[in-house]
Amino acid sequence: MNFFLFFAGFTDLTIQFFRDTFKGRFYLRLLLIQIYSVGIKSAPLVILTAVSTGSVMALQFGLGLEKFGGKLYVPKLVGITVLREMGPVFTSLMFAARVGAGMASEIGSMKVTQQIDALRALGTSPIKQIVVPRVIACFIALPLLCIVANIVSNGGALLVGATELNIDSDFYFLKLTTGLDLYDFFSGFLKSFFFAFFISISSCYFGLNVKTGTQEVGIATTKAVVTSSVFVLVGDYVLTKAFWMVEKWMLS
Amino acid sequence: MDAIIEVKGFQKSFGNKMIHKDVTFYVKKGECLCLIGGSGVGKSVILRSLIGLEKPDAGRIEIHGTDIVPLSEKELIPFRKKTAYIFQGGALFDSLSVFENLAFPLREHLKLSSKEIRERVLFHLAEFGLHGTEKLYPNQLSGGMQKRVGLARGIMLEPEVILYDEPTAGLDPSNTKKIQEHILTLKAKGVTSILVTHDMPTAFAVADKMAFLFEGRIAAQGTMEQLEKETNSLMSRFIAGEF
Repeated sequence: MNFFLFFAGFTDLTIQFFRDTFKGRFYLRLLLIQIYSVGIKSAPLVILTAVSTGSVMALQFGLGLEKFGGKLYVPKLVGITVLREMGPVFTSLMFAARVGAGMASEIGSMKVTQQIDALRALGTSPIKQIVVPRVIACFIALPLLCIVANIVSNGGALLVGATELNIDSDFYFLKLTTGLDLYDFFSGFLKSFFFAFFISISSCYFGLNVKTGTQEVGIATTKAVVTSSVFVLVGDYVLTKAFWMVEKWMLS
Repeated sequence: MDAIIEVKGFQKSFGNKMIHKDVTFYVKKGECLCLIGGSGVGKSVILRSLIGLEKPDAGRIEIHGTDIVPLSEKELIPFRKKTAYIFQGGALFDSLSVFENLAFPLREHLKLSSKEIRERVLFHLAEFGLHGTEKLYPNQLSGGMQKRVGLARGIMLEPEVILYDEPTAGLDPSNTKKIQEHILTLKAKGVTSILVTHDMPTAFAVADKMAFLFEGRIAAQGTMEQLEKETNSLMSRFIAGEF
């Protein structure tokens, strides 16, 4: 029952988002504020996660492959894993935790303190003022953060490869740039648009559905993070499968 | 009858509980109606419905002769521009400064230059005794100041109707008096208003007539002169705190 309610509410909010985005006034200032809030302010967390992920993967692959003399495959293996999966998925999970929670709690608090009602009473659309700038900001910020995460993650891996695994850094870089192609990048990068859309719409939905009380704000925040994270993980499989089919079709 | 607001057969339920069974009343141009009743009888729900924030299950709400109940959010905008809703807690946008809060409706609905917006905002701030607060944020203001900022924001578009939801709740006598004076000033300018309050001194100070909501209906209504004469009515007994 709850799932169907969520699905209906999500669909309705999506329709309202598209309707209000392309109609009437556009609030560029609000969009820029949101890009700063969800994008630039998320960068340190994303960078930290990416460096850690890349470094650990390089170390694990290196130690594992060393036994079979396959240490030299570390650059390509880490590169592909980061670009196709770890970059977009880990960045999106961090984004869902930080931005999804922030959005749901902020909007929920606005609902409790009647600020959303005040927007309506003043003759403006809460969708235009609240939802549209946040969704578009996520749509811009998350893919850019993914690119940053991809670079930083591979940078971290290169550093570990050079210092811990004794792989020549020039060799590592060469393997990284020649062993990967654009499809590796795009098959991960494109996922971030889907994740951004789902994280932002579902967080706004849970925030807007707070009725009364601070307890509900907490519940909405938890739901936003859990739902967004589950979508990122489940959606990742579906999108990977879809991109894999496209890749096969393109190669055939 | 030159009623600006007319509510007919208003019904509203929450879950299985029917709060409003048949609420009917009207307010003429320039009048101030005070809606009173016990806690939880749905006074604020009626007030919210008058600006389309809630929809009744049945009944009509006519503003200037137009039933606003079936109107969409977009269709309600012209009515909302002419009607101010003063929220109990102020409902100020906490991410915006006092200046930005007051400038908000002007930027939304009027094509004014930055200079004109500034002049209007500063004029209203001074009028409400809030000079020097323009750079402050809502959380830096006292409860009384927040209510006055909320009231100032509400009248930025020079509304014809003002709906006050508990405007003096939780205020000290000095701030209560200030709010009363502002309501009277706006009334003197010909603004029609509906006031929901438990603060009887304020009700008697500003209202032209009173309506008593009891068991889902307007159990009694009348002018303040009529009320003073009827000492045994249900409403008089409620005001005296006898039940």
